[in-house]
Amino acid sequence: MRRFILGVSTLALTVGLTGPVAFAEEDVTLYRVFVGDHEAGKITAFDLGEPDKRWSFETTGQVKLYSVDEGAAIVAVQSNNDVVNFIDSGISLHAHGDHSDIDIEDPKAVEASLTGPRPFHVIDHDGKVVINFDRGGYNEIVDAHELSDGELESTRLPQARAHHGFAAPIGKHWVTTVASDAPVEGDASPKRVGMQTVKEDGTPVGEVATCTGIHGEAFSGAFLAAGCDEGVLTVTAGSDAPTFKMLNYASDLPAGGKTGTLLGAKSMQVFLGNYGAKGLVVVDPADEPHFRYIELPFRRIDFALDPANARFGYVLTEDGSLHQVDVLDGKVAKSEKVTEPYSMDGHWNDPRPRIAMAGDEIVMSDPKAGLVRRIAKDTLQEAGTIKVEGMPYNIAVAGGSGKVHEGEEGHDHSHDGGHAHDKGHDHAHDHGDEKVYKGYFEDSQIKDRPLSDYAGDWQSVYPHLKDGTLDPVWEHKAESGDKTADEWKAYYDTGYKTDVERITIEGDVVTFYRDGQPVEGHYAYDGYEILTYEKGNRGVRFIFKKTEGGDDAPAFIQFSDHRIAPEVTDHYHLYWGDDRAAILEELTNWPTYYPSSLKADEIVHEMIAH
Amino acid sequence: MKFLRTLICAIGLTSASLVPAASAEDGKLGVVATFSIIGDFARVVGGDRIELRTLVSADSDAHVYEPRPADAIALARADVVLTNGLLFEGFMERLVEASGTTAEAAVLTKGANIVNDPEGGHYHYVDGKAIFHATPNDPHAWQSVANAQIYVRNIAEAFCKADTAGCDTYRANVEAYQKQLIELDADIKKAIADIPEDRRVAVVAHNAFRYFERDYGIQFLSPQGISTESEASAADVAALIREIREKRAAAVFAENISDARLVEQIASEAGLTLGGTLYSDALSPEAGPAANYLDMMRHNVWTLVTAINGE
Repeated sequence: MRRFILGVSTLALTVGLTGPVAFAEEDVTLYRVFVGDHEAGKITAFDLGEPDKRWSFETTGQVKLYSVDEGAAIVAVQSNNDVVNFIDSGISLHAHGDHSDIDIEDPKAVEASLTGPRPFHVIDHDGKVVINFDRGGYNEIVDAHELSDGELESTRLPQARAHHGFAAPIGKHWVTTVASDAPVEGDASPKRVGMQTVKEDGTPVGEVATCTGIHGEAFSGAFLAAGCDEGVLTVTAGSDAPTFKMLNYASDLPAGGKTGTLLGAKSMQVFLGNYGAKGLVVVDPADEPHFRYIELPFRRIDFALDPANARFGYVLTEDGSLHQVDVLDGKVAKSEKVTEPYSMDGHWNDPRPRIAMAGDEIVMSDPKAGLVRRIAKDTLQEAGTIKVEGMPYNIAVAGGSGKVHEGEEGHDHSHDGGHAHDKGHDHAHDHGDEKVYKGYFEDSQIKDRPLSDYAGDWQSVYPHLKDGTLDPVWEHKAESGDKTADEWKAYYDTGYKTDVERITIEGDVVTFYRDGQPVEGHYAYDGYEILTYEKGNRGVRFIFKKTEGGDDAPAFIQFSDHRIAPEVTDHYHLYWGDDRAAILEELTNWPTYYPSSLKADEIVHEMIAH
Repeated sequence: MKFLRTLICAIGLTSASLVPAASAEDGKLGVVATFSIIGDFARVVGGDRIELRTLVSADSDAHVYEPRPADAIALARADVVLTNGLLFEGFMERLVEASGTTAEAAVLTKGANIVNDPEGGHYHYVDGKAIFHATPNDPHAWQSVANAQIYVRNIAEAFCKADTAGCDTYRANVEAYQKQLIELDADIKKAIADIPEDRRVAVVAHNAFRYFERDYGIQFLSPQGISTESEASAADVAALIREIREKRAAAVFAENISDARLVEQIASEAGLTLGGTLYSDALSPEAGPAANYLDMMRHNVWTLVTAINGE
């Protein structure tokens, strides 16, 4: 069953938005917990509200779990087994300005996995999931949105030397940790010395910013931060190159401590880090004082930040107490005993509880008790327990809150698989404040279009790409993008490729020219289809079906021209073939046509003008 | 030792250096304004009876503002919080939640004459990236001087509620300022009248001037449209350039809060020069040409008239 939720945020500060909405709605909160076993290669998943219904996923070995892409996917890193598995959480949230859509399905394992020497740190930022392979000397950059379509697409960012580090996107740039050149004994990991800007292919740009022993990284607001022996190194995007700034530990912090794990708040620009065995530190990357130390009564086991309310973090200590930390006041606000003691003596990977936030609750694995405990975040009182077979250990949560509109359930949402599907945007109701957000539009804005929108004499731009006429376009794109001119050219070569060099459209007749030979067909409007692209934005294909004409003319043609309602076009991408559904799957080859009247240099001009 | 450290932290937190605002210690009304233009109005209405903190500073874009812990602390201590509303301050909801403030947030566009935004929003340009700001009603209501009169009246109401003793002062301050606003409104209309009617077309990247267009009759063109694929922006810009030629737009203007690269490109494509910088969503720093609302509006009008009539 798929449920579609439209969450209208309660912006108490705004007025004059809309009148009362004319449809019934119901609040729905759904959090899905994924918990890995300490010993067995197994992940158990369940919804907090319905924990008896379970899903189980086999893995090679013990997993560390990360909820990525707003909880749309779960990454299961198996460092000791050289493999990373991915799970489509079944829950996706799409923020659209003042409302969110939530789409709920069963969780599914992504068939493909990544293998490589000792995968470890995972970065989730800007639609990318970046996994460092500590003994491979590279990062795999995974497209997060593909994961929720059940697909794994990745590119590799090589590092100069293999080490226990990370790489991260920041604005249009990339940064990676850097290891020392000094030789090491056996398979010991080399010392880490700092961070450096690199191109997406790993080519270093600029100097190494010192950050001795760099470990632990997080994003908050405009900042990326990482822990070092001497302080916390911050990075901001800048317009031309990332800017590094070292915030040295203040003299009022206990001597000898350092930060090696950082969490970044989502709703306020602030970090919470560990500091020494018994402390936490609030890191304000912009304003002084940059550090505020919070001493805990016992050694720390695990800590988390509340994504909903940046004021509070939660930390579990080895005496079995959970503490609510007030980030603004810089102190422990509340403490309650929540489990038996778990000593921090022994190996870091011994079975001990892990905590994660799930809305108004903290979920905590309790390996020795074989439980996941639910703890209310405001009172720190236990709200319930859920039995989990084996030794529940690492834990991650996907989910959120929203409003379900009556009548939305069971609404027909066709899912045509692959890339080409509509993620719950088929709101049949009229909700007054239709809006477009970051390339998102409401379906009600889409209108049928006539073939006359595309009438004219059109030339393929592919020959111009092949003969180098368009080279200035790729050079122009390379100036601001993250690809080189050659990479852009290769990308568009795949996109523009076609042997149909000219198309004319007059009345209902479309004529295709291959090597000057015309093939024509008559076409009639056959509706539109909405596609969701990997970045989450959408496009509309306007489809025309052949009514008469030679067998050589395609049965279907589909126009894509960035417009969604009647308007005469100035250029378009055309997809064609005999299988209407199969053409919709085509996303890499999009033969592109400009008016035949345009000279090559005018096309270059048009293309550069963006 | 531990106690001592906690104490130091606590002192650090309450020190005036961290939060130069919003405390009743000196008997002043603690006021937080979300951005510089509202901050200026608050200063005009509150005078020295208020202690003011403005969250989004001069020349900064509220749309992409990342709130800081110090902002939450200031909100927690505030007696009055002044906001624009109409989804202008996207960061405020979460900041209010984090601060736990009990102060009432006054929405200054309440009762103002609002432009409904059929397109559902407008673009912001940051570091070369176009960011769509979805708003069903145009939030830039202060670009209408008539609306500015509503803003200051709403501020006086909010101050009166929190500080009855100062109410007469606040109302008197509004009274005096209204006269300046009326004069400003008349001056703008007079200045625009000097531009030939068919030349009252300007180009900006981030269309924050619809209120100005409505009240004063200068048409502002900006890249529009629904971006569904990366190429869309090329088509948008191409369409804009055609429109610039059709409507014989006179000049292209940069904005203080935006990256100028896009408008520079548009200007060069359209064969126009940059006509200067308009102040849309933020004042200039103290030393700049638009350090308060009155100066900002006069500077914008002077820039428009000079560029259009001078070309």
